[in-house]
Amino acid sequence: MPASEPVRLGRKRALPTCPNPLFLRWLTELRDQAREKGLKTQHVYQKAISSLNKYPLPLKNAREAKILQNFGDGICKILDEKLQRYYRENGPEAPIHSLPEGAPPAGRPDNNSLAPTRKVRGEAGKRKKREYVPQKRSGGYAVLLALYRQAQIPGSKGYMFKLELQAEAQHLCDKSFTVPELGSKYTAWSSVSTLIQKNLVLKTHNPARYTGHTHGNTHTAKSQNLTKSICLISSKNRLVSVAPLRTDAGGTSCSGKPQAPPAASRRPNGERLLPGNYEIILCVDFIETTGGSHHCKQELVKELQRNRVTFDIRKLNVGDFLWVAREKVAPVPGQLRPPPGRELVLDYIIERKRMDDLCGSIIDGRFREQKFRLKRCGLRRPIYLVEECGTAASHLSLPETTLQQAIINTQVVDGFFVKRVQDVKESAAYLTVMTRYLSKLYQNRTLICRSRELEGDGESDEEERGNPSCTLISFTEFNQGAIKNKCQTVREVFARQLMQISGLSGDRAAAILEHYSTPRSLLTAYEQCASEAEKEKLLSSIRYGKLKRSVVQCLIFISFYFILHYISVYLYIIFFLALQIKTLKNTTDSCFTSVKNN
Amino acid sequence: MSVLQRAKTWEISDSEDEGDAQTKGEESRQTGLSADCGSSRGSQDTCTPHAVSQSNSLSPPRELKSGTPSPARKRRTKEEVEAERVKAKERKEARERERRAKAQEKEERRQEQQRRREAAERLKSLRPENCLKRLTVCVDPALLQHSGSDILLDTLVASEWKFSIESQQLSHSITWTRDVSQQGEESKGPVEEEQIILVLGLTDFMDMVIWVKKMLESDGEESPVESVLSPLLECLNRDAKKVVTVLVTDSQPHYRANSCREYTVHQTLQSQLGIDNLELEEVLVYLQLYKNVSVVFLDGWQNVTDHVCAVTKALSKRPFKILTERTELPFCVDGSWASGVRVERDGSGLSQVWSRQIQQLNRVSPAVASTITAAYPSPQILLQAYQSMESEEDRKGLLAGLLVKSGGKERRIGPDISARVYRCLTAHNSQLVLD
Repeated sequence: MPASEPVRLGRKRALPTCPNPLFLRWLTELRDQAREKGLKTQHVYQKAISSLNKYPLPLKNAREAKILQNFGDGICKILDEKLQRYYRENGPEAPIHSLPEGAPPAGRPDNNSLAPTRKVRGEAGKRKKREYVPQKRSGGYAVLLALYRQAQIPGSKGYMFKLELQAEAQHLCDKSFTVPELGSKYTAWSSVSTLIQKNLVLKTHNPARYTGHTHGNTHTAKSQNLTKSICLISSKNRLVSVAPLRTDAGGTSCSGKPQAPPAASRRPNGERLLPGNYEIILCVDFIETTGGSHHCKQELVKELQRNRVTFDIRKLNVGDFLWVAREKVAPVPGQLRPPPGRELVLDYIIERKRMDDLCGSIIDGRFREQKFRLKRCGLRRPIYLVEECGTAASHLSLPETTLQQAIINTQVVDGFFVKRVQDVKESAAYLTVMTRYLSKLYQNRTLICRSRELEGDGESDEEERGNPSCTLISFTEFNQGAIKNKCQTVREVFARQLMQISGLSGDRAAAILEHYSTPRSLLTAYEQCASEAEKEKLLSSIRYGKLKRSVVQCLIFISFYFILHYISVYLYIIFFLALQIKTLKNTTDSCFTSVKNN
Repeated sequence: MSVLQRAKTWEISDSEDEGDAQTKGEESRQTGLSADCGSSRGSQDTCTPHAVSQSNSLSPPRELKSGTPSPARKRRTKEEVEAERVKAKERKEARERERRAKAQEKEERRQEQQRRREAAERLKSLRPENCLKRLTVCVDPALLQHSGSDILLDTLVASEWKFSIESQQLSHSITWTRDVSQQGEESKGPVEEEQIILVLGLTDFMDMVIWVKKMLESDGEESPVESVLSPLLECLNRDAKKVVTVLVTDSQPHYRANSCREYTVHQTLQSQLGIDNLELEEVLVYLQLYKNVSVVFLDGWQNVTDHVCAVTKALSKRPFKILTERTELPFCVDGSWASGVRVERDGSGLSQVWSRQIQQLNRVSPAVASTITAAYPSPQILLQAYQSMESEEDRKGLLAGLLVKSGGKERRIGPDISARVYRCLTAHNSQLVLD
């Protein structure tokens, strides 16, 4: 009987119910390996595990397992191989429906770290699953520790932004938070999603703020205890020489792996770039340079090279061209590469559109969306570069006047600067001259780094013509902030959900959000209403619109408006009534009559 | 069980209440004020059910009280007479108050409706077609000397827009004013728009280019010599918010299609002044970076007119656009996804709204959304399903594993989407990041 076997490992606790412990263990190992690598196959293995768990009969070989759900040829083959090896090692008569005694634990590198936590878990009691403990000096470990330390500082804001957190956590971690290791696309930062999943870290707001979870905080304390013990263990092995708790300086010394330079780990805010210490460089989005179909794209790069413009091709999350002020750094003796210089983004950003692009983007809605994102990107002087492509405009799917109107709207309504050119060559000439003049414009200026995350988009006071702004955001922060669809908050999704109701525009949704910012809060409000009629009316008293004076000179006055009654009724029906749609007829009928009466 | 028990307590309380009322009734009959008392008993009867069950423990002493023959009874009746009179008066006053309150409420409702109507009208007045009516195109008389300017005037007349021909601060310019008297409470008369169009002929533009070039060569010193540019610069110094567009046009229209408008300008510049494209570009970039002035080359007055009309239309769209864009939402509110679904009287459309609401989460396809809505036809049904589950883990995973049918392939909803839907519908923290 398999159940009579002594159970020694945590993971074996599930075994008595499963007559195929060996297969189960292998699958679990496979799943964990896949999970560590972040592979999607972990889910495949997980499914196989759950169906194996449900199967009450012992399996003789891997082929038999094929009858189970979620067992495909691949898994069966792997299991068969493992089984063959097992037989080779333990003899052909070895029992496969019970585990050999003293079997090595499933091969995880952090098995040592389990020892100190096991006790804590025992005290906590009924937890069935093994608690997740990040490995020492891993990304997760560093992030937790950094958040924990930050929370210990009295008067701290209680959360950290991504850049801050990376800067603080970097010296606690062996891997880089920004540069992926060779042959992998994951950085130490990748482990943050695991922490969020495990409820150890809370991610809120946009731009994201990270907080150690209340539960997580105790965990961090634990992992700090953990650090001590691990430090003791590993110091015997002479791997770590410095106690990890006050290791601001020790971080680099205790590991052989390269660390991010101290310049990057310092907080970027408030730093200065003095005149002469930086150069202005044009950044070109890589989309503008690739893509074989548009041969004129390569032409642009060639043209820029011919004009001897210093430019850099990189992935821009918004816009096609912009300029950075890059710090000039002297190479350090003994190092092959000079340390990376700091980069601040100038306020000018260009979206380039040929007439046919423009036409296409108006049709599929990208036009408005792109302009929206340009307005929000934090750079104050967006430029629309329109390449008119000669006579091509005449056989586009939109009439010429529509396109011209769209261009002029971009200037008048959206406040962009519109630059018209004939062809790629002129675009390149324009970019060249802009680069030269911007260098000239910034010749004698001291640049100060500001952070959008920390300070918001304050109106710059130096809005005079010809005097460009000198408080600029760093390129990293700019580009991270401009990622499309990066992370949705509950509030954002709720707003979008509200707008699915016909007649509920963005401003109305925003007004409702001011009162009820989550589906939960709206539903609670409905529950607290005394009568049906009150529920129907709940939202119709919300006013929106604001008094807005002379922010834009020509617009003196915008008044309050009300959420229309029928919208209030709809929201009530949609969110609150637990009805099948077919039975809704009567309800909507009565609501409509009340709408009419209003 | 519980229902039965409740019924019992009700029975008890009912009978008690009746007995109580009866004794009181007898008392009042003796005093000869039955009419008033009857009504008071009535009111008592109606309001008791809740209170009585609590008064169970109090009943014995009350019975005692009513049972005692009291010498104070007679005196009390006199007092009662007085008390009833006061009460009656109070009731009357209360009724009066109620009536007044109702009237006031009615008045408030009327005012509220009035406010709503006004608000709706104001909103309507911001619509482009209404804004257009309040715009006036102001044309500087100097422009009328251009031979092609008739096209502009004819077009303005034909479009029935308001326009005026009056001397502008900047010669050769076109500006716009907006009448805001109906819009706000304070009537201030017309407000100037930020946009200014300056129409220059080729020769004037060439003067400007030469002037800027000289200035660039002398390292940024603005030369004191009067030029076409100086009134423009003056104008910009007066009001830094103005946005100037220079339209450069040749007074003789070139009937050569609109392919290369700039061509003639370039040619003229090159042949007459020896200025090449790069130098021209430098002048334009200077105007952009230092003066925020854009230059557009147009072929003839028809194009100038089109440009002016387009700006006018754009100006009329602006107020409404600003109103809708002002919202502090972190995404673009325009687009097909935001148009909303119409719900018909029979409730059709509601399921589509619900389905599209789920699709608002990142990476949720229509197929996945319709699978969820098929299993849980309304948000409330889904929420009830959540409530019926015991553990957080179960709720998070409720939707995981639902079979999605799309294009012959069968997939299942993943644990990530399931958890995101759950957190979105139930989270208290509106700033929680779902991805």
